[in-house]
Amino acid sequence: MSDPDLQQLEKEITDNVQRCWKCRMCVAMCPTYEGWFTQSATGRLMAINLYIKHGLGDEKTLSNILYSCATCRRCQVRCRELSTDCHPADTILKARQYLVRKAEFEEGKKS
Amino acid sequence: MNKAFKQVIPAGHIHIKNNVLEKGNLTGISESTDLWARDLNLPRQAEYTLFAGCGYQQMKYVEGMMGALKSADKMGMGMGKVVGISKAFSKVGIDLTNMTAKITASKDDPYTPVLVSSVSVLRKLGIEPGYLHENEPCCGSPMYYAGFENDYAKTARENYERFTSAGVKKIIGIVPACTSALKNGYPKYIEGFDLEVYHILEVVARLMKEKGARATIEENIKVTYHDPCQLSRYMEITEEPREILKCIEGVELVEPDEEEIGRWSTCCGGGNMEATHPELSERMGIRRFEALKATGASMIVTNCPACEMQLSHTAKKVDENLKVVDIMHLLDVALQ
Repeated sequence: MSDPDLQQLEKEITDNVQRCWKCRMCVAMCPTYEGWFTQSATGRLMAINLYIKHGLGDEKTLSNILYSCATCRRCQVRCRELSTDCHPADTILKARQYLVRKAEFEEGKKS
Repeated sequence: MNKAFKQVIPAGHIHIKNNVLEKGNLTGISESTDLWARDLNLPRQAEYTLFAGCGYQQMKYVEGMMGALKSADKMGMGMGKVVGISKAFSKVGIDLTNMTAKITASKDDPYTPVLVSSVSVLRKLGIEPGYLHENEPCCGSPMYYAGFENDYAKTARENYERFTSAGVKKIIGIVPACTSALKNGYPKYIEGFDLEVYHILEVVARLMKEKGARATIEENIKVTYHDPCQLSRYMEITEEPREILKCIEGVELVEPDEEEIGRWSTCCGGGNMEATHPELSERMGIRRFEALKATGASMIVTNCPACEMQLSHTAKKVDENLKVVDIMHLLDVALQ
């Protein structure tokens, strides 16, 4: 069983990720990028996509990856101009909402 | 809150969320936030209402809070534990964040003068702004960026009611993040949102053009402008600050290359990130600071409490001669 809100968020996130071409134009744009792929917009999107679709990766690592984004939207401006306009920064924020909603949902299930 | 939840959501974010929901401000401090305006006699109702925001009002406490979290992190305590300890203290009636923040707070708070300057600039240009004083809510935007969407939506609706019942129609925001939340964030959650929200730079640039206002400073200086993310990409205000700077006689604007200015300007790493990834944020600050320093300017001008805090901290580490100044402060000195 899953929360309908969660399913909606899952759909929105994976739909947006599907529109990403992986052109990696956003990688050099990211101010947090220091060599690791998950320090870029497309890396973060791929991480949350793999987690939702295939359950890959643990939540703690995923949280670290998502919350290290500065939400400065530099990737989004580049994406809008050069690529497919998949709203990377907004999608990362949605992914954070997904983590919170999921944690809240699981908490409610336990108590 | 269970353990799994705490592992997934960074403790700093949960801490700030609780502060906003329980105390109605960013740091959870109980001291009233409108102290800066005590000598200004701002009316409660006017055509334009000023939204001062937690950023500048409480910057000294934010600085204290972040400093405490950071130094504890370096000692190897981990963010979660620090917040955990302060929770335990608050259960027995001692508010640790309050205490540490008060102790570490800088005495001559260098950031609230920005608010006073902003009011003075508006007055010089012929606008007498209103201010809600202790009634002013926290906009709640840190919760949105941390992913607590439901709490943010609730805060947005409450705040909207508070604004309408106070007769507010037009808002001038000073902190970029708050203004962006009021302008672009709230309408998503409120049907029939009818407040007009402007950022102070828009208003000032428009008025200066209309009135042909003249501004001069005595000494010639080279300045460079750092675009805050919330201004340049969320609200697309990049021309206004440059127009203002060009209006000031004696100020020469030197900038990094095109890939580093306006909507392409790099994030300085201030704000939310400082609470969750202090080391990464520090490195980002240094990278941005070096790029600005390479222009040869003797002053960095910006207009965001988080950027100002981050850049001036970096300046202390890298090059103390490069001063970080708010554009409103510079303009207030220069306007006649």
